[in-house]
Amino acid sequence: MVHIADGILAPEIWILGFILTGFLLAYTLSKIKTEEIPKISLVASAVFVASLLHIPIGPSSVHLIFAGLAGILLGLGAFPAVFLAVLLQAFLFQHGGVTTIGINSLTMGLPALISYGIFTVVIKKTSWKQRYVLGGSLAGGTAIFLAVLFTSIALMLTGAELIGLIVILVAAHIPVIVIETILVGGIAGFLKRVKPEMLVVVKK
Amino acid sequence: MTHFDIDKYAYLKSPFHSFDPRAKIICFLFLIFSIVLLNDIKVLVIALISTIILTFLSKIPLLFILKRFKWVALFIFAVLIVLPFTVPGKTVLSFGFLYVYQEGILLACLISLKAFSVMLLIFPMLSTMKFVTFIKTLEHFKLPKKLVQMISFVYRYVFVVSNEFQRALRSVSSRNVGKKSRILHLHVLSNVIGMTLVRSYERGERIRTAMLSRGYNGDMKTLHSFKMTKKDAIKCSLIIIWSLSLHVIVLTKILDVYDTYGI
Repeated sequence: MVHIADGILAPEIWILGFILTGFLLAYTLSKIKTEEIPKISLVASAVFVASLLHIPIGPSSVHLIFAGLAGILLGLGAFPAVFLAVLLQAFLFQHGGVTTIGINSLTMGLPALISYGIFTVVIKKTSWKQRYVLGGSLAGGTAIFLAVLFTSIALMLTGAELIGLIVILVAAHIPVIVIETILVGGIAGFLKRVKPEMLVVVKK
Repeated sequence: MTHFDIDKYAYLKSPFHSFDPRAKIICFLFLIFSIVLLNDIKVLVIALISTIILTFLSKIPLLFILKRFKWVALFIFAVLIVLPFTVPGKTVLSFGFLYVYQEGILLACLISLKAFSVMLLIFPMLSTMKFVTFIKTLEHFKLPKKLVQMISFVYRYVFVVSNEFQRALRSVSSRNVGKKSRILHLHVLSNVIGMTLVRSYERGERIRTAMLSRGYNGDMKTLHSFKMTKKDAIKCSLIIIWSLSLHVIVLTKILDVYDTYGI
């Protein structure tokens, strides 16, 4: 549900979304190497598949977003990965919107990049044994928190009368923040043990 | 194993299946963007009716459309429930301390009509072509080569990832994990996802080396090249003219005569 559907945002917002996404995409694409393409595509597919995985919570259900996971696996490549997942969700599953592809990539792609930063800092600055789990947890939770925050800002900029929707959006995502904090931490710890070269920091 | 029904109805025969993909994507995107830019409820109803007709012409089965509809339905449902109570304006109804506002109802209807129309238009636009054709079209539109390559890899890996994930889930449940509490423990789930990533990564690497050894260099190779016929040009211009005329209807205020009847 962090996907904003068509028809709700003011045109200025989604046009700005397309422009900023275009710039970020051009920048991140210029930074990645050809050998990284399969890995980025793999994580994009994983994010795409995860968004179809529903966890029942009370009367409704939420789906996983994994922007933070993309960040800790790919670094800068997380932005194109999130963009691809958003694009395919909109075009193949009518999940999200077409005019909002730009703004949706931004609200989830930027947190992915930020969570990459958080993860790097935690790994490099601390020497605790469980720092991978800690970094992954922080990255996973922060990514969703920021995604919800950015989406709320986009809605707020459209009109203050949408506050009702924002309340629902935030309430629906509190469980997702908790779940992804635990999950991404666990995944980071697992990958550290099993295949550390998949994590972005270790590679360098 | 579920396979997302990609390409399921790409082989039917309809005016949209034979439409040149490049022209089809351009004119449908044009229509989508012009519908989203509308702000008149009566014109939006007309637009919705036209999108229903277009979807009907594409011969995509109704059941398939309804299955996809659940995502948008969830969103429209939230909008219709929340906005009438929270957008302040003229009060229409009141239940105790809850007030229903006219402006809220209007805004909720506008948003739902747009979301629903766009959701429907994706069927005649993309469900009527193979995904490979879609990628080829993007290549034609001169999208960055890296991006096009990534999309084609994502398309392959989506099946790999979902296969590996379902395999991992099956092996976990066959070892009786989560049978008692019904909810999979989160740490087990995180290991399952991690394992899925590792296995898909390794399998994906093998797929890529296999492709490279068979001469893959990033270009899409398909047997058909695009051909634009006269019919396609007519279809394309009809849809673009229709999108423009939706805005003409708003600008010329033709429909405003009905306002006197209280619609």
